[in-house]
Amino acid sequence: MTLDEIAQKLSLVNRTSIGIQGREVTGGYTGDLLSCVMAGAQENSIWITIQAHPNIVAVASLLGLSGVVVAEGIDIPQETIAKAEEHSVPLLSAQETSFTVSGRLFQMGVSGTGRTNQ
Amino acid sequence: MRELSLHILDVMMNSVEAGATHIELRIEERSSDDTLAITLQDNGRGMSQEQLSRISDPFFTTRTTRHIGLGIPLFQAAAERCGGQLVITSQPGKGTQLRATFQHSHIDRAPLGDITSTVLSIILTDSCDLSYTHTVDGAEFAFSTLEIHAELGDVPFSHPSVRAWLRQFIQDGEASLQ
Repeated sequence: MTLDEIAQKLSLVNRTSIGIQGREVTGGYTGDLLSCVMAGAQENSIWITIQAHPNIVAVASLLGLSGVVVAEGIDIPQETIAKAEEHSVPLLSAQETSFTVSGRLFQMGVSGTGRTNQ
Repeated sequence: MRELSLHILDVMMNSVEAGATHIELRIEERSSDDTLAITLQDNGRGMSQEQLSRISDPFFTTRTTRHIGLGIPLFQAAAERCGGQLVITSQPGKGTQLRATFQHSHIDRAPLGDITSTVLSIILTDSCDLSYTHTVDGAEFAFSTLEIHAELGDVPFSHPSVRAWLRQFIQDGEASLQ
């Protein structure tokens, strides 16, 4: 599944000018403690969080994540968007909770951590 | 919480509810030892040793409207998660001091956030004076509401022009530290 397909099905809004067509998503991770995300999220996963400060871009970039979904309608500061543009990390907004976004992704078949055999 | 300024607001509200007429808030950011330290001192009614020993227990609160007080336990958890600690000292009739320290560069250390709004919220309750100091390495921004009151004379902080000026003054002061 690709990031643009996910965005369309879940009504996510891309807050950056970064193109999301064809960006493959192989798994997901939901969490708000950056140290846990660093330990648990896999490359090409989609990350769902309520954190919106610039450090989320650093984490997403380091891990090679497909994109970050900021849930619950949390406002993403301009500083974070600018950082995301600089590092080509798509930031998507969701109005629903992390729980709902995660559940809907799982139902769509975006399951597991992106690791093989899981 | 997603930003440390919300923890600070929570603690300052505790001070106001404890009858404080003066709060000192000091924020120190030091790259020399990679530390962020937040110190709050008030002259409220203070706490007994028994109350102090239970302050980190979320099921202990002096509030009467609910039975769970999460403010201090969450602030303590945030500090400890970031290689720091939260220490509270208090004496009945003398006031309370809270000091929270964080490893500044820790990946889980929340941003300070909108400290301007936090500080303004307390100033505009008009219930206590505030001494504020924020240092980032060598740079310092400090002000005292007592001194501002002296300059304003009879004009209250709640006056729209004063409120707007205060917000800009604090925002500019904070920006000068970046």
